[in-house]
Amino acid sequence: MFFLKMAIKNLSRHKRRTVITALIIAFAILIYILTEGLMIGMTEMSFNNIINLESGHLQVADQDYWEDRRELPLRDLITPSAEVESELKKTAGFIALTERLNFSVNLNNGIDELPVTGIGIDLEKDSRVFELDQYLVEGRMPESGSSEVIMGAKLAELMDFRLGDYAVMLIRTEEKTFNTIDGEIVGLFNTPHPSLNESDVFISLKTAQQSLNVKDKISHYVLRLEDREQAVKAAADLSQRLEGGLKAYSWKDAAESLVTMLEMQAIETQVILAIILTMAAVGIVNTVILSALERMEELGMMKALGMHQREIVYTFMGEAAGIGIIGGLMGITMGSIGLWIFNFYGLDMSALTAGGDITYGFPLSGTIYLGWEISSFIFVFAYGVSVSVLASIFPALWAARKDPVKAIYHR
Amino acid sequence: MPLIKLKNLKKTYQQGKIEVPALRGINLEIESGEFTTIFGPSGSGKTTLLNMIGCLDKSTAGEIIFDEHSINDLNNRELAELRRYNLGFIFQSYNLIPVLTAFENVEFAIRLTDKHSKKERKEKVMSLLEEVGLGDMADRRPNELSGGQKQRVAVARALIKEPKLVLADEPTANLDSETSKEVLELMKKMNSELNTTFIFSTHDPQVMDYARRLIEIKDGKITKDQRRD
Repeated sequence: MFFLKMAIKNLSRHKRRTVITALIIAFAILIYILTEGLMIGMTEMSFNNIINLESGHLQVADQDYWEDRRELPLRDLITPSAEVESELKKTAGFIALTERLNFSVNLNNGIDELPVTGIGIDLEKDSRVFELDQYLVEGRMPESGSSEVIMGAKLAELMDFRLGDYAVMLIRTEEKTFNTIDGEIVGLFNTPHPSLNESDVFISLKTAQQSLNVKDKISHYVLRLEDREQAVKAAADLSQRLEGGLKAYSWKDAAESLVTMLEMQAIETQVILAIILTMAAVGIVNTVILSALERMEELGMMKALGMHQREIVYTFMGEAAGIGIIGGLMGITMGSIGLWIFNFYGLDMSALTAGGDITYGFPLSGTIYLGWEISSFIFVFAYGVSVSVLASIFPALWAARKDPVKAIYHR
Repeated sequence: MPLIKLKNLKKTYQQGKIEVPALRGINLEIESGEFTTIFGPSGSGKTTLLNMIGCLDKSTAGEIIFDEHSINDLNNRELAELRRYNLGFIFQSYNLIPVLTAFENVEFAIRLTDKHSKKERKEKVMSLLEEVGLGDMADRRPNELSGGQKQRVAVARALIKEPKLVLADEPTANLDSETSKEVLELMKKMNSELNTTFIFSTHDPQVMDYARRLIEIKDGKITKDQRRD
């Protein structure tokens, strides 16, 4: 305890140096907190976008369909039944369900053609599961059974469509014959999910089923639950109850590649932290060496009085821990202020994503609000102090091993 | 038995390819409670001899017996233990820890011995600080003390653990004659009251006046060993 007290007092010898060294650690912690905050914010927004606009909490589909779902096949579709719906409604935390039919479309404006995804939606049920209607920037939702369509404002701009225009949708029916839907554009949306804005066209489910000649079949059910954390367990439970090749998939299954990407991003953040803190460690080594050189006579005296090497090392380690704690607290304070600012004002991603054109694979755009987790604060604080203490060991050993006579008569 | 016995003690320093002898065969016995001064010109080997006696440096040849135990074969850790419990040091430039108060500087030495409770420690330190005339300056840091006061703190620090031997390397070199006298009086008083053995190295004739035994050293050899009553 006495050595710790002495270590703390030693920190006051060169306040400016102590503060500058602590600032390096604080800077590393600030960068980590902001980067981590951005990651948490992006993750949260991405997950919400996927759940609210793309996958819901649970999707129920034929297992074979799910395997090939990215090819938008019209085989292995589901014929809705009251029994299945009743089973779905028994899911823990169930709020609502809807049916969707995804299909491949070539969108034609008379000059250009663009492959997009057509999504047939049950216009009554869909808004209970998804939030698409909340992002309409022009017009309205299509009417059930009509050939009205809505699409992203971005896609409309790309294809030179305006509200009220007719979009020719070239499709292939279940029997592989060509068909077209002359869809009147009645609404344009601009969601925070970029791929939805750029490549999806929504139409009434009934119209899609008729045009594709699939009778009343759907590609999948989508369920909304009370809490996204329930989804994985609910999917497993529901899959056990379902029959006829049907299986439930949580939003995490739908966002599999995103989850992997986020895990990689988390590793990148750790690497950034490690690099910056290594730089801070160099500062600590420098500080301990300078401090030992200045106190060489004192070290000699300590050794003359019978202080062991171990005790001298502890004193320097205590000082380094003190610098780490000061730097950690400064970094957390600065990081908290930074987080508060970015949480209050948000971070406009358009500057980073060239107006939303570049999304780096993240299903998000617009303004991101940074998140935080207390565990990140604890981790980065402990990491900063540990790096500081570890960096001091070798210079402290160097100082402690000095010959006492040479140390006493250093000058 | 003497407290210290040096048998044909030699120390040679290596400066590049040249060997520089600092001590050339010292034979010396110092009894417990002696107040001894080692004097001689600069470079005569006084400090080297003091460092050998103080277990801070190892000899090239010969033997050092401290309190009936040979210290030649002790490792650094064992030497540190020996110093910790048995030796006190007073340095020319005081070597106080600037961030600690006078009280804490003295307490530092006794803390290492870990023999006393907090209360006992406090009483002991305050009593000794009063003894050296600094009872009312216990809370001052070294930069708030005069040279003489600093050296008094150093004396208290050396004596607080009641060592068998106190070594003082030119303790008055940085003090004016009046302050030197006060510090020497203090050390002599401590020597009488506590029967602590003191060994000084010095150039200062005033210090020599206080010594009861004078040892002159020249070119690494004892040339005079005189006891005075």
